[in-house]
Amino acid sequence: MDNFFKIGHAYLLIGLITLGLASCKVDRVLPSAESVKDISGSWKVIKASRNGTDLIPLIDYSQFRVKFDAKGAYTLVNPLPFVASKDGKYAFDDPNYPFKITFTANGGTPVSTAFNYPVSGGARQLTLTFSPGCTLNNYVYTLVKE
Amino acid sequence: MRTRLHIKGKYLWRCCTLILLGVVLAFCHTKISSLTMPPSATVGEIVPIKLTLDVKPGFGDFNPHVSNFIMAVLMPKGWKGRQNMTATYGGGKGEGNMVFMPAGTICPNSNGLTWEVALREKFGLAGNLIDDLEWVVMQTDVGIKYISNEEITANIDVKLKVAADDNPTMVKLSFVVANSSDGLTENPSTTDAGYGVTAQYYNQFTTSCFSVTGGSGDMVDFCNPQLTTIDPPKSLDNDIVTIAYNDNLTNTALKGSQVVYLCATGTTSDGKTITVCEQTDKTRMVQSPAGSGFYKLTFWPKKFFSAADGQTIASMTYFVTNADGSIKVGYGNSAAPFTFRFRCP
Repeated sequence: MDNFFKIGHAYLLIGLITLGLASCKVDRVLPSAESVKDISGSWKVIKASRNGTDLIPLIDYSQFRVKFDAKGAYTLVNPLPFVASKDGKYAFDDPNYPFKITFTANGGTPVSTAFNYPVSGGARQLTLTFSPGCTLNNYVYTLVKE
Repeated sequence: MRTRLHIKGKYLWRCCTLILLGVVLAFCHTKISSLTMPPSATVGEIVPIKLTLDVKPGFGDFNPHVSNFIMAVLMPKGWKGRQNMTATYGGGKGEGNMVFMPAGTICPNSNGLTWEVALREKFGLAGNLIDDLEWVVMQTDVGIKYISNEEITANIDVKLKVAADDNPTMVKLSFVVANSSDGLTENPSTTDAGYGVTAQYYNQFTTSCFSVTGGSGDMVDFCNPQLTTIDPPKSLDNDIVTIAYNDNLTNTALKGSQVVYLCATGTTSDGKTITVCEQTDKTRMVQSPAGSGFYKLTFWPKKFFSAADGQTIASMTYFVTNADGSIKVGYGNSAAPFTFRFRCP
């Protein structure tokens, strides 16, 4: 028991206590605000399918563009079947954590679709699923910003 | 030491019982011994279909075993089977109604597929040629109490209102019977002699081409190869449609052409006609693979016919032409055009 208080052991004890205190320190991190999803720019289709059939070899998407501006308007260049058939306004259900994007063509009714915005190869992609004709026919477009 | 051995043995027996319960629920045979129905009907008619079944379950000592008996019918999607089919069962195991399988019910032993998907994967289109069919799945309203090795003769009486979409139709209807414990599995080691694996836990019966006449819609022929097909079969002018032309079915005047073109006339909802009959890239049907006699063109009808704002294309008639437009092939290799109506199921 006497040996326990030998100087060497005391250092060891202090060292252990210090280590222990250091390890228990709570690191307070301020929650950073989730960025607002900014999709403004010109987007082109890189993948397209209809009911699972790849449309890229079948139809020419090279001229088709969807242009979103920062004020909530979009325009379709060389249109092809899309969520909306005319230019109009777009909006998110939540600007920070959007699950849905809604397109409202000028003079048309709003159409909502799931908002998927993954990063692939360092670039954001926008994947939209919609039915421009019969509701049983599903189209999936993957777009990238130019 | 003896006590430990005793406990081990108890668990061993429990395990064995569980494993056996899981494995031995087996049907010795399940067969549609006959199916009677009229060879044709008119649109909207309620067609009686009678299935006679020969079933013998066998599952060792785990008696009795309760399982729902299942019947699935492959029919055109446009017939809306869940609204237009009823069925009752009778025979050796009592009487009752067949009810629709709740949507999303998983087929046993199928790696988590629903009954509809599992049937589709196993039986495909059952010899039909247009992919616009669906499996409509029904099961007995109550579980059937099966006793091992008991021979059962049962029957299912189906009443199917045909062609709810108002289209005259030629189709091979397909019937599958199964049970809710085994799904669509096969076990060659336990099949009954004379039945085989395809009449063990399930059995399929496909009719010859059933013809439905009358109706105001366009003829849909699932049985016979068509010179042209349209994908998706149900579409509007704002869909992207693919017209495929198969030049191998009969000796057409276009035989051996490297390129063929579409010559089409659209009719708008306000009664106007728009004809696109040129031989350009816009109408060119690409042959793929080269020399195969299969050609196709994919287009957006609204743009193809240059429909004005607010104008919709309700239907179209079309021919397939050669490079200078001098040869035209129409419906059934005749001088009449192919027809297609833009509409949803």
